[in-house]
Amino acid sequence: MVKEIERAGIPVVHICTVVPISLTVGANRIVPAIAIPHPLGNPSLGKDEEKTLRRSLLDKALKALSTEVSGQTVFEN
Amino acid sequence: MKLELGYIFIKDIQFGNVSKVEGGVLYVNKDELKKLVMEDTVIASVDFDIAKPGESVRITPVKDVIEPRVKVEGTGAMFPGMLNKVETVGNGKTHVLKGAAVVTCGKIVGFQEGIIDMSGEGAKYTPFSETLNLVMVADPVEGTKQHDHEKAIRMAGLKVAAYIGELGKNVKADEYHTFETPNMVEGMKLYPNLPRVAYVLMLQTQGLLHDTYVYGVDMKQSISTLIYPTEIMDGAILSGNCVSACDKNTTYHHQNNPVVHDMFDAHGKTINFVGVIITNENVYLMDKERSSDWSAKMAAMLGLDGVIISQEGFGNPDTDLIMNCKKIEAKGIKTVIITDEYAGRDGKSQSLADADVAANAVVTGGNANEVIVLGSMKKIIGKADTTVVNTIAGGFGSDPVHGASLKDDGSIIVEIQAITGATNELGFNKMSAR
Repeated sequence: MVKEIERAGIPVVHICTVVPISLTVGANRIVPAIAIPHPLGNPSLGKDEEKTLRRSLLDKALKALSTEVSGQTVFEN
Repeated sequence: MKLELGYIFIKDIQFGNVSKVEGGVLYVNKDELKKLVMEDTVIASVDFDIAKPGESVRITPVKDVIEPRVKVEGTGAMFPGMLNKVETVGNGKTHVLKGAAVVTCGKIVGFQEGIIDMSGEGAKYTPFSETLNLVMVADPVEGTKQHDHEKAIRMAGLKVAAYIGELGKNVKADEYHTFETPNMVEGMKLYPNLPRVAYVLMLQTQGLLHDTYVYGVDMKQSISTLIYPTEIMDGAILSGNCVSACDKNTTYHHQNNPVVHDMFDAHGKTINFVGVIITNENVYLMDKERSSDWSAKMAAMLGLDGVIISQEGFGNPDTDLIMNCKKIEAKGIKTVIITDEYAGRDGKSQSLADADVAANAVVTGGNANEVIVLGSMKKIIGKADTTVVNTIAGGFGSDPVHGASLKDDGSIIVEIQAITGATNELGFNKMSAR
């Protein structure tokens, strides 16, 4: 899906737990997620902490989307 | 470490008044077994049935398969740390009721249990169509949570298998086989010119009922570690898995791991079988990195020349597999990986979710998406209604080409994914392109 959408000219950020798979399939902007059963959250955190975590992931993704890349890039921070 | 396995060949299973093994026949007192299982207050009802090779019988939904064994000499007892005390096993003598199996059956997750057909086309895809199966069908009390349910069925299966195994303790075995792993120094002196080869055994540990236990330790909470191959034969590793049936390693698969057996066959002849590194398949990327770093590190510490890596399950564990492969190769150690494929029904899609050029020697257990028709059976053990068959992984409720998996005449159209052991990644199955 990542590749097909990019082929249509729309940049994509892939938020993904298993970064190596994302690299293998050819995503260009990759944001590491939390864990396979809960990529965008962490049920072991409290409600407020989890909201902060989710917000930070989304912010990171939006930042990645607006960043120029010259090749496959993993946005660690 | 040295273990002698004594095979008592079982030719028939019958229910009887006295549980015993006599003249190659396993007699089982059903009421005794029921009483044993009902000790667990989570279990509401239990029944036992027998399924034999060639019969018109379908068993589903299957959770685990266990081979009845008993320690006769040496330390420890079967399923240490789980059913018995945690003392080290893998030495001395163990009796095996060869040809018999305990099959646990009952819906836990539903979509992640399997099908065993005792005859017909489906029988060719599961090794358990060739065993004499004592099938336990158990249901929990209402309101039991899934993980408590899984545990209850897992423990009941182990208890039953140990109880049956015990019947062979004082029976003379038909055949004895000895397996011995020298320590590293002795091994090097014994076979100075043979390549040093170890086995990296990957265990399914994704959590949420995808768990494997080693001496009672939930393997997802461990880093990669070393184990003697004979410990595995004594039930040190067991399945707590509710996961796609075709490529999960049942406890029976672990007990009879064919990679271990084949490596022992070659030991001292073409290779020096150094030992087994066990590692996990966790759901956090950091765990995947750490565990594969650790397998590679241990492979280097052991001074290996080569490694065989087997996977369990599919999808994200493909990444653990590739990480193990490329990190071990990077240490200058050759690898062969054993996996299976999800290449689509036409076989044209990418087989694994991950790949690397280092993975240049691959053995496959087959394409799990292959579609098969399983004819109707005269008898069903367990339940084969729409709630099971149409939701099982590999089955479908409404497929554009095939419709629903379960047909009116009781036949089933499914991907072989639904069949217990069909694409086993230890090479236990017999499928071949030849």
